[in-house]
Amino acid sequence: MQAWRIRLLTMLEYKANFIMWFAFTIAYHGVAIAALGATLYNFPSLAGWNFRQIAFLYALWMLGHSTHNLLFFSIGEVPVYVQEGTFDRFLVRPRDVLFQIVSVPNQQWPDELALALVWFVFATWYAHVRIDAVFLVAVPLVVAGGVLIDLAISLATATIAFWFVRVDTLRWVVMSLEQEFTRYPVSIYTRGVRILLAYVLPYAFMNYFPAVYFLHKSDQGLAIVPWLGLLAPAVGAVWFAAAYSFWRLGLNRYQGTGS
Amino acid sequence: MEPIVRTRDLRKVFRRPQRRPGVAGALRALFSPAFAETVAVSDVSMEIAAGELIGYLGPNGAGKSTTIKMLTGILVPTSGVVEVAGLIPWRRRTENARNIGVVFGQRSQLYWDLPLRESFELLRAIYDIPRARYRVNLDEFIDILEMGEFLDTPVRQLSLGQRMRGDFAAALLHDPRVVYLDEPTIGLDVVAKEAIREFILRINQQRGTTVLLTTHDLADVERLCRRIVIIDRGRLLYDGTIEDLKDAYGRTRRLVVEFAEPQDHVVVEGATLEHTDRCTARFAFDRGAISADRLITALVARYAVRDVAIEEPDLEGIIRRIYLEGISPSEVLRP
Repeated sequence: MQAWRIRLLTMLEYKANFIMWFAFTIAYHGVAIAALGATLYNFPSLAGWNFRQIAFLYALWMLGHSTHNLLFFSIGEVPVYVQEGTFDRFLVRPRDVLFQIVSVPNQQWPDELALALVWFVFATWYAHVRIDAVFLVAVPLVVAGGVLIDLAISLATATIAFWFVRVDTLRWVVMSLEQEFTRYPVSIYTRGVRILLAYVLPYAFMNYFPAVYFLHKSDQGLAIVPWLGLLAPAVGAVWFAAAYSFWRLGLNRYQGTGS
Repeated sequence: MEPIVRTRDLRKVFRRPQRRPGVAGALRALFSPAFAETVAVSDVSMEIAAGELIGYLGPNGAGKSTTIKMLTGILVPTSGVVEVAGLIPWRRRTENARNIGVVFGQRSQLYWDLPLRESFELLRAIYDIPRARYRVNLDEFIDILEMGEFLDTPVRQLSLGQRMRGDFAAALLHDPRVVYLDEPTIGLDVVAKEAIREFILRINQQRGTTVLLTTHDLADVERLCRRIVIIDRGRLLYDGTIEDLKDAYGRTRRLVVEFAEPQDHVVVEGATLEHTDRCTARFAFDRGAISADRLITALVARYAVRDVAIEEPDLEGIIRRIYLEGISPSEVLRP
């Protein structure tokens, strides 16, 4: 609780920064969606998906991703803490290290999440998604799963910093992969990429598989049950558990070498 | 009395990739990495009683910080025993964290963008400090560290001296039994240094807090510590009082004489002439062999003397000799 109060104060410290960020966030997602629109203008459907459906796909990813950014953005700072030597201060305090890192005051406003919510409501209507009890229960679960998937991947990436101090490149690659592969239906990719997105970096569970279910699409590519997307929370939990074990391993290494 | 900090044969070995010079070397290292073992701390055994204030000295890279990191639970020792207030720090890291406070002079633990007051509030939550206790401690620290006027200023706008005072309060709010101060006076002006020294002395005397202080400023040590521990290249060189060290290492005193008129040949029994420019002369003498009084009497009997001064061996000179020569004063101390 105290951490949230402090965080709010930190954010208020830089109001101009917030305004710039907000403008940037709108522009960023605006450009991404416009680019999708342009693509779909030339090819009215991508693997059987029209623009309305792809807008929903994007909205679903945006919800999970922006919630992750709001809650867990500081995990990405771990390599910096290790490099600068400020990581030690988390180890001399009587709390779990990961918890402390997550509660470091930062400059993440809920602006992206707000934008995601607005866009999601619009896209749901725009894509003619049927809103029933199942939808209302499933969406928060799917989003929670998406947050866990994002969290697992950012945690695992950050953990690598305990071995190789500079991991900027890797972070950049992982971020680009996520942006690239969450925009289009996974079925447009070759088999190798589809398997990667489903089972290795399971971004497909953040939006594609759930969207297949909500939009009653069929996915011939991976030959799966239609409700596979509802497994997102379970996939997220398993991946987070694996990433957390990796994190513990990295932490042990840090305490052994102090590099 | 049971020691509050205890280490026995404490050892830390780092295995680091060895760098080879140049681009070719770096490329080779990429494919066939070679490792070098560095012994950062080697068989260090020491005991600190509750309430002691100890100076932990050594040149850069001697192993001071590595020792402190093992005492705080940041690092796991390669071998040996380490115990702080009955706990093994690295095994019970969070419990140990409640017993200790740490100030790293070079790295603040305050929140850069927040006023001091908010950093303290956050620490209260992290350490679960009872509100009443928190208020008492904070009021006391605000008072003696004179933090009142900058308590609501964001940390990034504070001067180094103000920030350091904030860091001290932050490390002590939860009433730690042991505090580790790693170069707490580095970069501070004389007034700020004195304020920090006063504060260290005060918490040690009034709260009985055990203090382990590392510093390169020997004035800190002379002002604060009775006992010092010297480490170099990972090995313990000395563990004892400052007086004993001076006795063992600083037997040579110096007598500086200013003559009333220029002298060409100056000789005095019992002292060696180190330097003369005819108007002044500097003699070295062993204080165990001859007293200053006798030496001066002999001098005055032979020459017209305007002024004399005796230079006591200073801690800095002694420590410098120990660092340079790497001899263990413990050997010197042994009869």
